[in-house]
Amino acid sequence: MRYLICFLLCLSGLPLVGVAQDVSASPSQGCALVLSGSVTDHEDRSPLIGATVVLEGTQLTSVTDANGRYAFRNLCPGTYRIVVSYIGYTNEKLEENLRSSKTTNVRLHPDALQLHSIEVTGTRHQDQPIQGNSQLSGRELDQTQGQSLAQALERMTGLSSIQTGPSIAKPVIHGLHSSRILVMNNGVRHEAQQWGSEHAPEIDPFVASELTVIKGAAGVRYGADAIGGVILVEPSPLRDSVGTGAELNLVGVSNNRQGVASAMVEGNPAGLSSFSWRLQGTLKKAGNSKTPDYYLANTGYQEQNFSGAAGWTREKYGVEAFFSRFDTKLGVFAGSHVGNLTDIRNAIKRERPEPEAFFTYAIDRPYQNVTHDLLKLKAFYRTENLGRLNLMYSRQFNQREEYDTHGGSERPGLRFEIVTHNTEAVWEHKPWGNVNGSMGVTYMYQFNRYEGRFFVPFYQSHTAGLFWIERWDRGKWHVESGLRYDYRNLEAKLFRKDTPQKTGDSDLDNELLTPTHRFQNLSGTLGAIYDIGPHLNLSVNAATAWRSPTTSELYSNGIHHGTGTYEYGNANLDVERAYNFTATLAYIQNQRLNGEVSVYRNYINNYIYQAPDTVPTLTIRGAFLTARQQQADATFTGLDASVTYQLTDHLLLGGKASLVRGYNTSANEYLIWIPTDRFEGNLRYSLEKLGAQETFTENFVSVSGMRVSKQRNLPDNYLARDYALPPAGYFLLNAELGTTLQLGKQQIELGLMGRNLLNTAYRDYLNRFRYYADEVGRSITLRVSIPLNF
Amino acid sequence: MKSFLKPSLAILFAASVFMTTGCGNDDEPTPENEEELITTVRLHATPQGGGNMIMATYKDVDGPGGQAPIVNGLQLAANKVYDVRVEVLDESKTPAEDITQEVKEEADEHQFFYQPSTGLNLTVAYTDQDSKNLPLGITTRMTTAAASTGTLRVILKHQPGTKNNSVNTGETDVEVTFPATIQ
Repeated sequence: MRYLICFLLCLSGLPLVGVAQDVSASPSQGCALVLSGSVTDHEDRSPLIGATVVLEGTQLTSVTDANGRYAFRNLCPGTYRIVVSYIGYTNEKLEENLRSSKTTNVRLHPDALQLHSIEVTGTRHQDQPIQGNSQLSGRELDQTQGQSLAQALERMTGLSSIQTGPSIAKPVIHGLHSSRILVMNNGVRHEAQQWGSEHAPEIDPFVASELTVIKGAAGVRYGADAIGGVILVEPSPLRDSVGTGAELNLVGVSNNRQGVASAMVEGNPAGLSSFSWRLQGTLKKAGNSKTPDYYLANTGYQEQNFSGAAGWTREKYGVEAFFSRFDTKLGVFAGSHVGNLTDIRNAIKRERPEPEAFFTYAIDRPYQNVTHDLLKLKAFYRTENLGRLNLMYSRQFNQREEYDTHGGSERPGLRFEIVTHNTEAVWEHKPWGNVNGSMGVTYMYQFNRYEGRFFVPFYQSHTAGLFWIERWDRGKWHVESGLRYDYRNLEAKLFRKDTPQKTGDSDLDNELLTPTHRFQNLSGTLGAIYDIGPHLNLSVNAATAWRSPTTSELYSNGIHHGTGTYEYGNANLDVERAYNFTATLAYIQNQRLNGEVSVYRNYINNYIYQAPDTVPTLTIRGAFLTARQQQADATFTGLDASVTYQLTDHLLLGGKASLVRGYNTSANEYLIWIPTDRFEGNLRYSLEKLGAQETFTENFVSVSGMRVSKQRNLPDNYLARDYALPPAGYFLLNAELGTTLQLGKQQIELGLMGRNLLNTAYRDYLNRFRYYADEVGRSITLRVSIPLNF
Repeated sequence: MKSFLKPSLAILFAASVFMTTGCGNDDEPTPENEEELITTVRLHATPQGGGNMIMATYKDVDGPGGQAPIVNGLQLAANKVYDVRVEVLDESKTPAEDITQEVKEEADEHQFFYQPSTGLNLTVAYTDQDSKNLPLGITTRMTTAAASTGTLRVILKHQPGTKNNSVNTGETDVEVTFPATIQ
């Protein structure tokens, strides 16, 4: 059983190169205290075996042994909040001010309400990751239900999103996005049409029980391309205790009258305890969004998603299969459907977008239909002497259909199909002294095809990689180092008529060209954490990663609808290389004041970007802005800071700031489309228990204000590169409210969230549709979450 | 246990590699013509009271980019009235597709605009309407005055739900400029 938990923990922590260890903090001078004791039943004083003891706010967990005893060794002096949990008993929380080694015995009260339920209490414990990262899980993640993945991630410092209207948002990490960010969906590298900023990741956020963002180049473990960072979307591990459980989530959003229903059921049959399964599905429907002054025509969307998983797990080996489908239909904001340069200038001049819109759920042309299937098979095998071998195979199928305003035909104007196969073998070796690590080999095959108008050619690519990461922990030092080699072969297939070399002669133009590219390179990382004191640690990380140009950067050739730009690819592009340096100072586990400051600098050689040409492309539809892919050296420098201060037992004050500067060092000027400075202040009142018989638990109210500045760090002659100057800064007032309601034996979790409560009319610099319309106005979200146990 | 497991894991791994590589798709694109390409705009001008029909052409067979378009300007006689018909074609297809017909079918959402440059002594009047009595502009009457030179810009707008006889709304389907001479 213990191994089983370890296995599941390891699996969920697999990409973080975490290996479950016996619990102990780092031994160091002055940090040699022991906190130990027993956990017993309050009534009959019998020892409780396998109870979980967690030091809240730390990574430390202990599980009681056969005598009901737990122990934490090598603790530093300080105040610890201890949380003891055991199935069928009420959780016990207590605070210990540790000055010397101490014995603390805990007696748990049987919980009548929990006696019939079986809970999985597997708090994951793993090594503190060295590279800068943020996590969102549990209650905080629940609060984001109904939002898109990118919107949910905006809660983290250093994260923002690049939007294309209200229905499409992509995450931005430290100023980088799209093909510079990897999304690992359930351990699989998400592969879709991510070249455009208007293609949101095809992932159902309800599948995730934890979102982790690794900030900065993280190419060693996850493969080339991750020069901006990695987003890990992790479902919770399959159930490991006998029984059946379910959860129903309902969300309603006022602004676009969105309704969401998501349900999950999982089980572990009694006679077959090695077998676990889970089924999950989500339905979502939203109508037109509304700014403070008008509706945005054709911004509705709908989603139908489902996933299923089944696993067979024994102590030494296990296999698991997972399948998910994401299916969405989303309208493209009608006011953004413009043609040539004159049309765009007319649209920018308008006070409000045309046509005049009302509320409707109907989705009209232009719209997109997107389907994403993921099949994943994985297996592990563990031996005493060698460690653990993980194997994984996955297949992804992504289909995107774009229906244009014109034509009226049943066929989409453009259809892409992209198929990706991934195979991975990773060996996590047994610790060699203080050294933990893993090495692996990965192989990916990808094929892209399209029907309809040309935008990105047919292509197939083979990518193979080898990596090795080791981590050394001793005393106050934690050091991690890794190296990776990748090789990519890319063959595109396109007709001459789809290249800038087209001749007008149909025989010559219909000749099929098959240009081939080979890219190979190394990625590396070296990082360390040093514990300056029990409450202060410093981590530094240096990493290098590379990215090969995407097929769209190499070969796109045509008018990009909605942006009025004629985009030319550049077949001579070379790889981009990033050198990323990050330093983080964390002040943690203090009674009142806690905080973290992180500074970073990312040097990118041969940074690929779209540069406008001064000569517009003249077509029969008029003049279009010409944009060509170019390369230059660039730097991204920034700061992320977060601080919390416990004013009283119930009142917590918090603040966050994210700043980033993007600079083109070749041309000696700022880059455009860089996120602006963000500041957030937050006051939160929480109350553990409320009402007679404690009907309401885990109650909280929080009010937050967010200030986003105007972008002032701009190149000269800005209007030669963009249609409009950056919009003014803005302030948004948001509030949240949450409680857990105990109705008889049933728990119901309720959440209420208000965004843009002052109904401020504003535009965001990173919204591609900021030329045409304001952002959405006030919106209230109500969430209900009902866990069920049978 | 081990003897059972090792081969099965090896098989799984081998199978996954096989699945990965075995799916090598030798699919090739088929030369497909763009659904909504417009390659050609023609103006047919018939002088009232007899005379030869005059034609002006703007033709860009390979679409945007690539080869430059071929343009034959408009040459009209001074102080005359012409009945003019515009024709929009996709000549990349064989036979050429007449897009004017589609415009006529969706007349309530489309309008042609004619903009003579200042100095060109030309006035243009609509002679056709859509079902809502708004001008359409497939047929017009052009009246010339004294000899002059300049340009005539022809714009076709797609204005679903917003058509109001204004050039400043909707999406541009066609925008071409003909050199024009009145002599």
